[in-house]
Amino acid sequence: MDRVNPRYVLVVVAAVAGCVAPFVMGDLTFLMRMLLAAIVVTGLSLLMGYAGQASLGQGAFVAVGAVTVAVATTRWGVPPLLALVAAPLVAGAFAALVGVPLLRLRGHYLAFGTLALLLMVQTAMSTFDFLGGAFGISGIPPFGVGGTVFADQRPYVLLALGLLALVLFVTHRIVDSRFGRGIRALAGSETAAESAGVPVVRAKLVIFALSAMYAGLAGGLSAFFTPYVSPDSFPALESFTYVIMAVVGGLGTLWGGVVGAVLVSTLLQLLNLVSSQPQLPPTLGPILQYATYGGLLILALLFMRRGLVPAVEGAVTRAVSRRGGAGRT
Amino acid sequence: MTELVAYLISGIALGSSFALIGSGIVVVHRVTRVVNFAQGSVAIVGGMASATLLDGRLPHGLGEIAAVLLSGVLGLVIGLLAIGRRGTPPLISLIVTLGASMLVSAAIIWLWGQDPVTPPGLRGSVTILGAEVERQRLLVVVATGVAFAALALFFSRSYLGKGLTASASNPFAARMVGIDVRKMGLLAFGLAGILGGLAGVLIAPSNPLSFYSDLPLVLGGFAAAVFGGLTSPLRTLLGGLCLGVAGQLTAGYLNGSYQTEMALLLMLVIMIIRSRALVQEEVK
Repeated sequence: MDRVNPRYVLVVVAAVAGCVAPFVMGDLTFLMRMLLAAIVVTGLSLLMGYAGQASLGQGAFVAVGAVTVAVATTRWGVPPLLALVAAPLVAGAFAALVGVPLLRLRGHYLAFGTLALLLMVQTAMSTFDFLGGAFGISGIPPFGVGGTVFADQRPYVLLALGLLALVLFVTHRIVDSRFGRGIRALAGSETAAESAGVPVVRAKLVIFALSAMYAGLAGGLSAFFTPYVSPDSFPALESFTYVIMAVVGGLGTLWGGVVGAVLVSTLLQLLNLVSSQPQLPPTLGPILQYATYGGLLILALLFMRRGLVPAVEGAVTRAVSRRGGAGRT
Repeated sequence: MTELVAYLISGIALGSSFALIGSGIVVVHRVTRVVNFAQGSVAIVGGMASATLLDGRLPHGLGEIAAVLLSGVLGLVIGLLAIGRRGTPPLISLIVTLGASMLVSAAIIWLWGQDPVTPPGLRGSVTILGAEVERQRLLVVVATGVAFAALALFFSRSYLGKGLTASASNPFAARMVGIDVRKMGLLAFGLAGILGGLAGVLIAPSNPLSFYSDLPLVLGGFAAAVFGGLTSPLRTLLGGLCLGVAGQLTAGYLNGSYQTEMALLLMLVIMIIRSRALVQEEVK
């Protein structure tokens, strides 16, 4: 019998776990947030890992997606499905537009530039009443297609799962394509990629817009789920969390975003449970949260530079090959 | 007219604090190519430590100096995390310092709570050209001027400062003549801690600081440092003053809540216009 690739086993296990979880878990809000984060972080991991561009303000595009849904459904009466489709498109178009000047920056400058973009999107949201103003937009209708309307949280979680699968599939196809190889070359050396015929500027812009589309999709879905959008819904800390998840999971790996999102979300949820015990001081929650974020980030970067997925993958491959030879990877 | 003078002076005071934080970013970046995201957090610790020390423990002057030195130690610890491990690329070090700033935030909430803290400063105000100006704000301007003059002397005259400059301009050659470039990098982080702490001690009496202030502080400082291409302290000072004055004029004549956005917008415009030159400096 042919040896089964451990990677496929893991993917099947993840898929089964994902499908079972919505039916056995009590706290679906937590699961939903985790899935939304996984969608965003998959895009960020693509941007940071494959294209080598850091973004500290990915929340800006989540916000654009969420505002798109909020404005389209409450102000214009656009059907929910159409609004949800529009969310990633608008976010992607926005990223393509701001990306033209912004992507002239690199490294530290781009990191700070994206952070500045996030803060300016927040200001725009709280300044223009059309985008919600200081109070935000509430009363977003529940998601539904035709006659069926999502009555409780479970269908949202299932939809998010399906969209996460779609996002992973699209990412997989892109990374494996000719375009994807060009992108990876670009992360190594822009000059070398350029001289090998990779259209550097356009390629960076496409990946930037694609990661923004993922973020916009997650934002649009969260607007239906919450159902409320305000400037405070997208704090900078959340964008930093995406970076932490991407780094912990492993930049530039297909599954790194998902693994990072699951791991960091679960850890934070556990800490939340611990710190919300009534006899403990109320400041313990934020202390633990910040300490975990900082500690995780530093430990991951200093001791597991490539992230969890490549580290585990390497260990499994080594174990399999030790146990009797040619494990295909 | 008095209105304009008041805006200009408070703008210069605000810009001075941007410049002080920016100078810390520049000092570290020159030597190590790392941007220290925790620079704002260090300033907060400086301000809060001075509040605690001045609260009946130490007299004015000593309390502030102790708080600044404490910030220097904190800066050194952050440096150990960021560049202590050999071969950490600068962009990864940036994210490490982001992690460090989160750890510092945790420590700030633990030690000082979540509410803003403000130490006692100079009281009262003086009248300049008809405009009422708080003494503390004047102190910020004067102290910033002294700090930048001292920094310039340190870099051009002292043996250590020359070592730092040498490591900055050509790490390889510096190593050849026996300068420990890594030690110089750590020294730069410590010096940046002192500058950040000084900024915090000076700002806190007129603008109460909380753990939440780290982002505005580090963004303001980075924006000022961008004017200096992240390498020139003098142009950082000018950049900080420009940003501060532009921010205060926006706040005064347009709308108070757009002050930070004005600074960010200016920063973005400068970065994008100068992107080619900045990239070249990065490569060099």
